[in-house]
Amino acid sequence: MKDTLAPVLRLSAHPDSRCWYVAWSPKGSLLASCGGDRAVRIWGKEGDNWECKCVLSDGHQRTVRKVAWSPCGNYLASASFDATTCIWKKKNDDFECLTVLEGHENEVKCVAWAPSGNLLATCSRDKSVWIWEVDEEDEYECVSVVNSHTQDVKHVVWHPTQELLASASYDNKVCIYKEEDDDWECRATLEGHTSTVWSLSFDPEGQRLASCSDDRTVKIWKECTPGDGDGSTDGAWKCVCTLSGFHSRTVYDVAWDRLTGALATACGDDGVRIFKEDTTADPEQPVFYLSAHMPKAHSQDVNCVAWHPQEAGLLATCSDNGEIAIWNYHSDA
Amino acid sequence: MALLSPSDDLFDSILMADDRFHVEGYREGFEEGTRQGMIEGRNHGRLHGAKLSAEVSFYHGFALTWKYLLQNSEDVKARKRLKAVESLDGLIQKFPYEDPQYENLQEDMERVRAKFRQVCSLLNVAVDFREYVSGSAGMAF
Repeated sequence: MKDTLAPVLRLSAHPDSRCWYVAWSPKGSLLASCGGDRAVRIWGKEGDNWECKCVLSDGHQRTVRKVAWSPCGNYLASASFDATTCIWKKKNDDFECLTVLEGHENEVKCVAWAPSGNLLATCSRDKSVWIWEVDEEDEYECVSVVNSHTQDVKHVVWHPTQELLASASYDNKVCIYKEEDDDWECRATLEGHTSTVWSLSFDPEGQRLASCSDDRTVKIWKECTPGDGDGSTDGAWKCVCTLSGFHSRTVYDVAWDRLTGALATACGDDGVRIFKEDTTADPEQPVFYLSAHMPKAHSQDVNCVAWHPQEAGLLATCSDNGEIAIWNYHSDA
Repeated sequence: MALLSPSDDLFDSILMADDRFHVEGYREGFEEGTRQGMIEGRNHGRLHGAKLSAEVSFYHGFALTWKYLLQNSEDVKARKRLKAVESLDGLIQKFPYEDPQYENLQEDMERVRAKFRQVCSLLNVAVDFREYVSGSAGMAF
């Protein structure tokens, strides 16, 4: 294996707590992290070191589960188990809480900004997915509530180019939503995982979706086109590849690198794995191979993997032990 | 007990009694069980139907009240809110009260509930109507 994953640095981001999630700002100059200590931390590079620039600790009463940057990089959304989502506005080097989105009955599990920046999606243990619209005056209005899952909704992610939303749930399913007469509706349900689906990631072009699960597999789904000739309806998705046998525990996160096309996974066996696609394979039956594996990347569960948006191969991960690690992935292929 | 025909073995009726009583007992028990089950099922259905109706009726009253309140409002946001309230009312109007065997009852109910929550969010009304709503949160059988 010529491909390598080398450690760059390690930060004790949320000491004595879990670090749940990390997110790079769109330009990649800042990294936001959140954790069980109810805080969001903003990290920036100072020379060769990464330093904590800011601690947002007064927004939430309970664990902060996920953070997301707006596409413009001026806003940060944080989803918390206290049933609220905070929107933070960047002001010089500081952040102020602009608004608090309420409405979910209990733990908010994820928040995601649409590529346009005008829509925001949140999901919760209350089984619902909410879509919010942002106007010019920074006001947020709920445009739709969708109850398509029968259990806790773990993750939401937007399509990179279209206004299409995907959600993953404890009910083992993935739902794809589209707007229909002012309301958002579930247009496709992806069934195949045999346990909780934890996370999702679209490929750089948005033609395929990767899902990872408690069933220790990663599945690759592709949107059916009317020309496929297999009688499938428009807007349906089919599983074209299952990565099984690689992970020995739950796969908590999956991330498709927009720059290199590599697929990274975060696993409950403390390892980080990078998969590459065999470019010679039939696009209808893609083949992925394990390109790099870092066993014991952290001393506990790895919760998140995030590719740097501009520097190819730079990967941030975080873990139950409260740490953030940054890695450099290099591939000869 | 039926009279024995002369051709029957005298001991048959004694030896087969166990079997006969078993069959009779089963039939009687089955009939009684069916009767009781019907009553129980009917009560269960009535109870859940009432709960569901109460919930939908509550949403209906809520929607109508807000419709009247918003109709004459000058607020720039009123139009958007009115539209959402009307959409909730529309879902309730379509609700099939008459058909107890309607297949998509649960799905439609979820849709009404979701719309209600969106409307509450738009109107800044705290969703704390547990007395009206949560009584029929799930249908358990």
